[in-house]
Amino acid sequence: MTSDDMKKRAESAKEKLAQYGDDINLDNYEYTSSEPSEIESIDDVSSADQSLVKEVGFDPTQEKVSASFMQFDTESILADVLLSQEGLEVLPMSQALKQYDWLQNYLWKAVPVDVDKYTARSELETYNGYFIRAKAGAKIGMPVQSCLIMKKNQSVQNVHNIIIAEEGSELHIINGCATPSEVEQSLHLGVSEFYVKKNAQLSFTMVHRWSEKTDVRPRSAAIVEENGTYISSYALLSPLKSIQTFPKVRLVGPGAKSDLYSIVYGTKESKYDIGGLLSLEALRTNGKVVSRSIATDSSEIIARGDLVGLSGQTKARLECDGLLISDSAVIRAVPMLLARAEGAELSHEATVGKVGAEQLSYLMSRGLTEDEATSLIIRGFVKLKVPGLPDALQNSIDSAIRMSLEGGL
Amino acid sequence: MCGNLLETRDLRVEVNGVPILSGVDLEFEPGLVYAVLGPNASGKSTLAKTIMGLPEYKITGGDILFNNQSILNKTITERAQLGIAYAFQTPPSISGVKLDDFICRICPDYLCKVDSEHLMGESCACKDELYDDFERLGIRNLAKRDLNDGFSGGETKRSELFQVLSMRPKIMFLDEPDSGLDYDSLKIVGCELKALREKGDTTLVIISHHRYVLEFLEVDKVYILYQGKLVYTGDMSDIPALEEKGYEKFLAEVTG
Repeated sequence: MTSDDMKKRAESAKEKLAQYGDDINLDNYEYTSSEPSEIESIDDVSSADQSLVKEVGFDPTQEKVSASFMQFDTESILADVLLSQEGLEVLPMSQALKQYDWLQNYLWKAVPVDVDKYTARSELETYNGYFIRAKAGAKIGMPVQSCLIMKKNQSVQNVHNIIIAEEGSELHIINGCATPSEVEQSLHLGVSEFYVKKNAQLSFTMVHRWSEKTDVRPRSAAIVEENGTYISSYALLSPLKSIQTFPKVRLVGPGAKSDLYSIVYGTKESKYDIGGLLSLEALRTNGKVVSRSIATDSSEIIARGDLVGLSGQTKARLECDGLLISDSAVIRAVPMLLARAEGAELSHEATVGKVGAEQLSYLMSRGLTEDEATSLIIRGFVKLKVPGLPDALQNSIDSAIRMSLEGGL
Repeated sequence: MCGNLLETRDLRVEVNGVPILSGVDLEFEPGLVYAVLGPNASGKSTLAKTIMGLPEYKITGGDILFNNQSILNKTITERAQLGIAYAFQTPPSISGVKLDDFICRICPDYLCKVDSEHLMGESCACKDELYDDFERLGIRNLAKRDLNDGFSGGETKRSELFQVLSMRPKIMFLDEPDSGLDYDSLKIVGCELKALREKGDTTLVIISHHRYVLEFLEVDKVYILYQGKLVYTGDMSDIPALEEKGYEKFLAEVTG
């Protein structure tokens, strides 16, 4: 598709409401039109910003990473691949699109441009983001770290990312998004498209910390080919105004596998509508969608999970557990299963409840106070163990959760 | 003779409006071993859970004294901190809390340092002794498992015993510590209890309806509950007759 066709399709979807989530008036925000400026080195990033990015798992010392990418609003960008990482490429999207004509073929392929007004608007305004590629056969053991920071008031951060794990490669990415708390109203539009080729492994870990005035509308999707593996884990631990996201993973090659994990710690008046869809389109494809939600204060959490079985000899499971610890909070778990082929084995388990009285009594009988027991139960509940994730990334998730709970409990 | 560590006076308890204990007087002295026996539904577990302070057990009359002080207005935590422990029959599972971390938490003796950077808030590094003790109880395999999650019946008994032992309580109530155990596990549990008896600083109350575990350690006093009342007080020498005749016949003869 030419870029003119793309713009036309985007124009046609400009007013198309999203399937879920509160509608946002996109004309209330300012969009950037200038080319991004380049940050030479992490040393040029202010120490305040450095400590902000640390909260979302980004290590400014770059000790245990293979590459770093940082983007402030839609304006300034740092992309730094450490030496000796053969077969790894990290570029700002604007530059990658100039450099590689073929990249056009991946743009809006996993996420259609006309899904809703947010994808449409993202295409129609100036965007940036990252292009990360592990070349065929490259095993990148150390994670690539990226973070997207929003600092401007009343503005939109418009991000479009493309991640490609070529045949037989291994790639791990940790993505942190953060907004300093003093930012007034802002909107994050993030489009991410993941392509996992034959026998490749890709893990994508997100730790996000937005401000209470931020609306977030990520639109992401993955296409996984034969025997490829895609693992996504998402920890959303801070209050925000609203988020609605429903990433879709298509397992298109035989033996492809994907596990989607999410943990949401709902606080204040935040509204979360978070889901995940697995589409099993080839033989022996399989996966899991696991979500944990904790609703405190007056937060509202909708946890959706959708399994679609389009081929036989497939298997997928949905686990959706919610813990409600406030009378003014709400959790709604929405598990969906759709089978269109004989031999698609789909199952789900959904629970929503409060901290169990029996669990409390039990722990108190071992000498813990009621508060200590409650906190232990909650901490246990939010532990998100992601099988197959490198230790460094599991640790980032653990410490982000710990930091949030220390603030909240 | 020294005073009682714990006693119940005319204790009356109901669960969901149904009376279970209808006036029970029991005395537990420091360092002795007691067996509370009785047929199913005689109120044995209710007695222990009420003393622990579990909320479903509503006290409608009487009192529970610990060192001659009423503990009726004390929370479960306060009772645990006084030195009362109860090993659950079917404890709830707690996800994300590992058994070794938990034992470390309830027993500071096992703890050698506070949580390091990479561990979750409640985690800690535990001393090797902890794992030796796991080994001795034959449940090393449970150390890294979530608390009570998928434990078998026999594993639950030993994990519960391990936890209450770790608390170094003054009095512990073991609710059927021998049910569901194979002979080897029974022996392990029996030996632990025997060792505890020999140390002599914990009052042991074993709730049971059979005598398996009682073969491993000497019991100082036997209480038999029947239909929510204490109907007989005896000692070890009653057990063979009790076993031979069964509760109905035994009680008919001794109370007859």
